[in-house]
Amino acid sequence: MTASAPLPPGVSAADFNQALKEFAGVVGHDWVLTSEEDRHTYLDAFAPGDADKHACSAALAPTTAEEVQALVKIANRHRIPLWPVSTGRNLAYGGSAPVLRGSVVLDLKRMNRVLEVNNELGYALVEPGVNFFDLFEALQAQGGKLWISTPAPGWGSVIGNALEHGVGYTPYGVNANSICGMEVVLANGDVVRTGMGGVNPGGQEWQVFKYGYGPVWDLMFTQSNFGVVTKMGIWLLPEPEAVANFAISLPDMGDLPVMVDTLRPLRLDDTINAPYTITNPYRSIMDPMSAQGKTRSTIYKGPGCMPLDFVEQTLRSRGEGMWNVGFNLFDSDKGLDLREAKIRAAFDKVPGAKVKTMRWHRGEPLAGWMRVSPVLFPLAGVDWYGGPGGHINYAPVVAPIGSRIAEVYDMVYRRYVEFGFDCYCGFLNIGGRAIVVNPCTFFNREDAEMTRRARELARVLYKDGAAKGFGDYRAHISFMDDVADMYGYNDHAARRLGDKVKDALDPNGILAPGKQGLWGSAQRVHKGKPA
Amino acid sequence: MNGIRTLLAAAVAAAATAGVIAADAPLTAQQQHGRKVFDIKCLPCHGPGMWGTNALARRMPLDKAELEKRTDLNAVMVKTLMRVGIGSMPPIRKTEVDDADADAIAAYLTRNSPR
Ligand SMILES: Cc1cc2nc3c(=O)[nH]c(=O)nc-3n(C[C@H](O)[C@H](O)[C@H](O)COP(=O)(O)OP(=O)(O)OC[C@H]3O[C@@H](n4cnc5c(N)ncnc54)[C@H](O)[C@@H]3O)c2cc1C
Ligand code: HEC
Repeated sequence: MTASAPLPPGVSAADFNQALKEFAGVVGHDWVLTSEEDRHTYLDAFAPGDADKHACSAALAPTTAEEVQALVKIANRHRIPLWPVSTGRNLAYGGSAPVLRGSVVLDLKRMNRVLEVNNELGYALVEPGVNFFDLFEALQAQGGKLWISTPAPGWGSVIGNALEHGVGYTPYGVNANSICGMEVVLANGDVVRTGMGGVNPGGQEWQVFKYGYGPVWDLMFTQSNFGVVTKMGIWLLPEPEAVANFAISLPDMGDLPVMVDTLRPLRLDDTINAPYTITNPYRSIMDPMSAQGKTRSTIYKGPGCMPLDFVEQTLRSRGEGMWNVGFNLFDSDKGLDLREAKIRAAFDKVPGAKVKTMRWHRGEPLAGWMRVSPVLFPLAGVDWYGGPGGHINYAPVVAPIGSRIAEVYDMVYRRYVEFGFDCYCGFLNIGGRAIVVNPCTFFNREDAEMTRRARELARVLYKDGAAKGFGDYRAHISFMDDVADMYGYNDHAARRLGDKVKDALDPNGILAPGKQGLWGSAQRVHKGKPA
Repeated sequence: MNGIRTLLAAAVAAAATAGVIAADAPLTAQQQHGRKVFDIKCLPCHGPGMWGTNALARRMPLDKAELEKRTDLNAVMVKTLMRVGIGSMPPIRKTEVDDADADAIAAYLTRNSPR
């Protein structure tokens, strides 16, 4: 351990060193990572100016569930908080860094086996270190009969992304909905298999029926700190006969409500059978530029939020309207024809709407627009103000009613102008019925003033949104308590329930204290104050 | 992994420069292993038309921006930047690329550098 390493709060250096020795007895010295160089790799790479407040004291890298069991038992004896990550690429939400400074990162990346691909039943059983590239390769090796639902950047974990309620862009878009059966190591070292995995001796049913018998536990381990997930069954989309891409553009700044209201019924009855993303004018300009490696200074040099008339001119010169939506449909060719006819009929009624489509057919190479093969180029957006960059999100869940979405957008846009950031905003249709309004603030990490402004903007948006009754679907480690506060019904009954469960399962609070605002009795003293 | 190369080639099919890697002197076993790891861990950002390549092209000639075509890299630099990160490239952890694989990547990327 180097001098500058933080200690877990409340743990003496002697105790910590003793624990490190015991951890090494489980995973070997090479995989108890304590050097400054190694700890640096666990800082939040896109941190909004506070990376050190979330520094870990060490990282452990086990390869089996048995090792995880042994590690949590040691952590319990020494009261050492562990922060489990699967691949730790939770960029924009904290990367691999813990909420509580001095926690030990439990890095599950080396548990990287695809344990089973079942083409007949349409699922895979994976370990936490399997990322979307790994699973994609494993499926391709078996003929590509099943498809993943990758988030925009694909180097995150299939398990980590599902646990965070992450999204991909196929009909299986919400990865948490595709979870079927888990193996979980509890804080006391016990191992549970959920659903049909509990049947002893088990057969072929673990990954085909979610509910088992009695309470369903799977979702309880998502966005929580109640256990360490060591295996997960994930349902996969059978390769369709065809895929259609839709790019629909509406001309005027006032067209957001009609865009939302036209899409809603088409999504509700599953004519649109995968998530759509609406992009505001800023995002429509910035995404293609970033993908080509172009930064802001190549089109605009002034401070503040780029003026709307400049943005409008830029889009018009490219023949695009102010509001754009993109989505893919998955079906047979004939099925796509029917869907396309309904969508075109709906948008024919919207003045100025332009609808462009493309198709892919089974047997052709997968095309980039299908968003079914993993890529990393979407991360390029963080360089908008020149690197080294980062971004933080505001991500409230909003009902897809045009006037309501427009009200939230208006609130967001005013704040971006006030704080002087280009108002990059997407509207992600998550889970069929909802929209997550998702403005992203890009900032240059070397510009301390800009980074501070980005943080302030996030806090102000949280307050504005909370005052209007909105809650976010996910949060960066710096803002987990802020978002938990939005869910305050009946004197924070939801958080009180979470804390009760936490205390029952993990009385010493050794698993991920502060995750999603859940601290438990043992660690609550550390809430809100970095060690 | 060939899958990822094919995928990337498809993704940048529009870019006229996209293509196979220039023919080199035969690779040593370590360099071959390095290329394999590079394909999985680095190529999605350092292939033609990808983020890392585009970012580097902002501060060096395009023909140098692709790491595999460089002739001026040295092993210490490659390994250090991999671990520390550079610009917006996040650090690559040991659990993702261990030290032996990092050495192999460095051996592959410096195969055409003067020694
Ligand atoms: C430009 C950009 C675009 C993005 N686009 C998307 C997108 O389209 N869709 C999307 O979903 N996300 C997106 N993200 C966010 C993020 O990159 C992905 O969600 C990513 O998959 C999360 O990282 P991970 O999978 O490595 O999770 P990890 O970092 O491994 O895990 C995330 C968290 O889950 C918990 N956890 C993980 N594994 C375990 C376990 N085994 N047991 C217990 N708890 C665990 C921990 O609290 C951990 O911190 C984007 C980010 C950026 C920067
Ligand atoms: C997520 C994308 C991403 C991944 C994955 C990635 N890089 Fe990078 N890399 C970048 C970016 C972006 C830059 C340019 C940073 C800048 O703006 O200077 C870069 C720059 C570099 C440089 C600096 C070159 C120079 O001359 O300055 C090296 C060396 C490098 N990367 C090596 C690697 C290696 C080796 C791997 C695989 C183990 C890897 N990178 C994986 C994004 C990535």
